Amino acid sequence: MPDTAQLQTFTAGVETAVDVAQIERQLHELWQLAAESAKDPSQRQITRACLLNFIVFCETDAESAHASEVISTLTSQHPCRAIVLLVQPDVASAELSASISAHCHLAGTGQKQVCCEQIAIHASGPGVAHLGAAVLPLLESDLPTVLWWQGDFLKRIDLFRRLVAVADRVIYDTSTWTDPQPQLGDLARRITEHPRCSFVDLSWTRLGLWRRLAAEFFDAPNCRTELARIRTVDIVHGHGPGASLRALLYGSWIAAQLNWPVAEARQKIHLSAREDRDATSVGILSIAIKTDDATFSIRKNFGESTASATVDMPNACGLPHKRAFWPEDDTSLLSQELDLGTRHTVYEKALALAVIEDVSR
Amino acid sequence: MQTAPPTNPLQEGLSAQRTPEPCVVVIFGATGDLTHRKLVPALYNLAHEGQLPQSFAIVGFARRPKTHDQFRAELRDAVAHSSRFQPINPAVWESLAQAIFYHQSEFGDAQGYQKLNAFLQKLDAERGTAGHRLFYLATAPTEFIGIIEQLGANGLIHSQHAPTASQRIIVEKPFGHSLSTAEELNQALAGAFDERQIFRIDHYLGKETVQNIAALRFANEIFEPLWNQKYVDHIQITVAESLGVEGRGSYYDGSGALRDMVQNHMMQLLSLVAMEPPTTLDGPAIHDEKVKVLRAIRPMTPEQVQQFTVRGQYARGSMAGQAVPAYREEKNVSPDSRTETFVALKLFIENWRWFGVPFYLRHGKRLPKGVAEIAVQFKAPPAVLFGAESTTPLQPNALVMRIQPDEGIAIRMNAKVPGNALNLQPVKMDFRYGGSFGAHSPEAYERLLHDAIIGDSTLFTRRDEVERSWQIVDAIIEGWNSAPAPFPYESGIWGPPEADKFIERDGREWRRP
Ligand SMILES: NC(=O)c1ccc[n+]([C@@H]2O[C@H](COP(=O)([O-])OP(=O)(O)OC[C@H]3O[C@@H](n4cnc5c(N)ncnc54)[C@H](OP(=O)(O)O)[C@@H]3O)[C@@H](O)[C@H]2O)c1
Repeated sequence: MPDTAQLQTFTAGVETAVDVAQIERQLHELWQLAAESAKDPSQRQITRACLLNFIVFCETDAESAHASEVISTLTSQHPCRAIVLLVQPDVASAELSASISAHCHLAGTGQKQVCCEQIAIHASGPGVAHLGAAVLPLLESDLPTVLWWQGDFLKRIDLFRRLVAVADRVIYDTSTWTDPQPQLGDLARRITEHPRCSFVDLSWTRLGLWRRLAAEFFDAPNCRTELARIRTVDIVHGHGPGASLRALLYGSWIAAQLNWPVAEARQKIHLSAREDRDATSVGILSIAIKTDDATFSIRKNFGESTASATVDMPNACGLPHKRAFWPEDDTSLLSQELDLGTRHTVYEKALALAVIEDVSR
Repeated sequence: MQTAPPTNPLQEGLSAQRTPEPCVVVIFGATGDLTHRKLVPALYNLAHEGQLPQSFAIVGFARRPKTHDQFRAELRDAVAHSSRFQPINPAVWESLAQAIFYHQSEFGDAQGYQKLNAFLQKLDAERGTAGHRLFYLATAPTEFIGIIEQLGANGLIHSQHAPTASQRIIVEKPFGHSLSTAEELNQALAGAFDERQIFRIDHYLGKETVQNIAALRFANEIFEPLWNQKYVDHIQITVAESLGVEGRGSYYDGSGALRDMVQNHMMQLLSLVAMEPPTTLDGPAIHDEKVKVLRAIRPMTPEQVQQFTVRGQYARGSMAGQAVPAYREEKNVSPDSRTETFVALKLFIENWRWFGVPFYLRHGKRLPKGVAEIAVQFKAPPAVLFGAESTTPLQPNALVMRIQPDEGIAIRMNAKVPGNALNLQPVKMDFRYGGSFGAHSPEAYERLLHDAIIGDSTLFTRRDEVERSWQIVDAIIEGWNSAPAPFPYESGIWGPPEADKFIERDGREWRRP
């Protein structure tokens, strides 16, 4: 049975090594101790909260440290059981070890602490084979399971298959992949292989404001008629990580939503790369949607985390305006995705078209 | 000419929130307390969340002379003080500030409205607001009818200049002082606006409560089958305040607890817990069900008022270790005032679902703590199995929907105490929205302003609801006219002892929230 000192270490976020087979028991005892010490009015009350299982896949120490940092903030909005997997199949020595810690946040008037637990599992060499069996019993029943895969899961497809089998959602970021574009077809195939799991690319999440600004041009019925008259969509992007793929996804999104056949999409959507010296760059630099009578433009403002939207038909479809991008760090992007919870069918449609379009370019 | 597709395909998947139409919000009483503490901070919060229309403006109407820039500077301070997003984001504020304007005029001056109209039309041309208006009456209620009539008389509604544009009006509380004054106000509103254009504020409905109650009842199959006279013993709705009248003495003394809290907020809570499942979650369907509940409450006869109500008035006492004055010693309160600051009621809903189930409503000022909750008390289980063996009497189950503070749901159930003896003890299963979802709910005014801008009336009260609840309340006030003065109660306790006796006569007791 753990003691109060161990409980304090645990709730302070310090990792405690545990036997893999004893994780659940150790956690149970710590929470029980927390519940008992809460009866003492001099102690701060601790409540454990959990709305989802959040599995994070990491291959390096740096990724696993980053995961812990993200989880520590994310849990204030999305209480979860976090399971951080540090997986190193290419290391020779076989290892399967675990540690536990908690992330606690003050709630309400500051009298109570709401805590979430984090389980870290390190598997290396032949130990990786036991990973699936180690994770399965740790999932909280009746709660959705989200898998955040740092890096390129297509390169670890066997491991991925095992973990995706228990996940309801998979989140990844193609802008961290070395060369994502040629892999789009494979990615789209994997998605269709798992129809009960929702996939999302954080690169797509980053397009949120760009999509919203473009959509808003066409909210008023008189402006919506312009959608059928689009001649070209010019998308200019920088050279940063994932920038060209994001531009391709964006163009494919417009084409897919407007039901353009591939040939039409290829003819109307123009992607071009440009030097990008902006330290606040978000990949895409500008877009211009041109019809016979109007140009609808969105431009990233240099040096600012904002974009400006303008239409050259005065008063017809909204006045020039500026909007701030949501923060684009992993914590903010993940938080946005965890707020949603629905399947990203619009993303899937855009991706499917991007595959064909890219191949045929 | 091309016809527009019925929906915007590019909006698919972009969060279900409706994009608001262009709009100018005109606030009457724009230098007042409500505007500074609630309305403009709420509009700023909406701007911060990207939920204001692209083409948007705020025009403040009040009588003190002021430049646009002075007005903006005052509002900036107000936002810095009261917004839930701190510190203030300069980019968001700047873009909102450019859309804020001040219009100086007397409420009674027709020319002031004509100038306002011209100014709004100029804004339409400059800012693309296309004649859409949301008028907000944030003034003393005595001004409401005058302003509505001036709006109508000076061409600010159904304007020639933009015949298809929407004009809406938000009316602050209190909505009338009695059935007849509420009818008069409704009449004035109906003379100028359609019911669809009228948004009567009940800021209680802007809390997450409404949707939470609907979600609890209708998204969980386990509760609805028990939600009726067969299983429910009674329901208690408590809205307790620890504060006194806090400088609102002159208003409150002419009004009292029943009008201030029961007629609007508590009747709304009651109708939400008691209503039948609506056919949809749209405004009209929910209003229809709520008003059916109110119609099923028969206004009390004077004899029933004596039997089914208790009123109290706070005397001196102490709150949080501080001595506090009696109600009659408060500023702008008559020293022999008979105004109630506490009220307890028993109401019956005469329909199949609730026949014979009492609804106890309790509200008061200077009670031990500020709390609002609805408690559904179920009938006691038959005592045959555990009655004889158990050392403690069986407590019936209770389901408590806590509205504030710390919104959540708790269920009281009986569990066996571990050990050889068969001892049962009530245990509480407690769910807190804040603990599970993080504490990021928008504030009530934010939600309500947003909904009024997009034209969704679900969280506002409809004419028939307001009038029916006034009918119920008026009957009680009439009964009180021939009754003795309210019972005094010491500040800092749960109301007068008579309120305890009142419920104990029924073999029940008040919860200690
Ligand atoms: N304050 C709250 O927290 C709160 C909460 C719930 C409901 N309410 C309701 O909201 C409404 C407003 O309350 P409040 O506290 O904001 O009132 P307030 O502080 O007294 O403000 C009154 C406003 O009306 C203006 N005004 C008064 N007479 C005028 C006239 N003849 N011509 C032009 N302007 C005139 C004042 O302008 P000048 O400054 O230029 O004189 C001021 O802007 C009331 O119905 C109240 O019941 C208030």
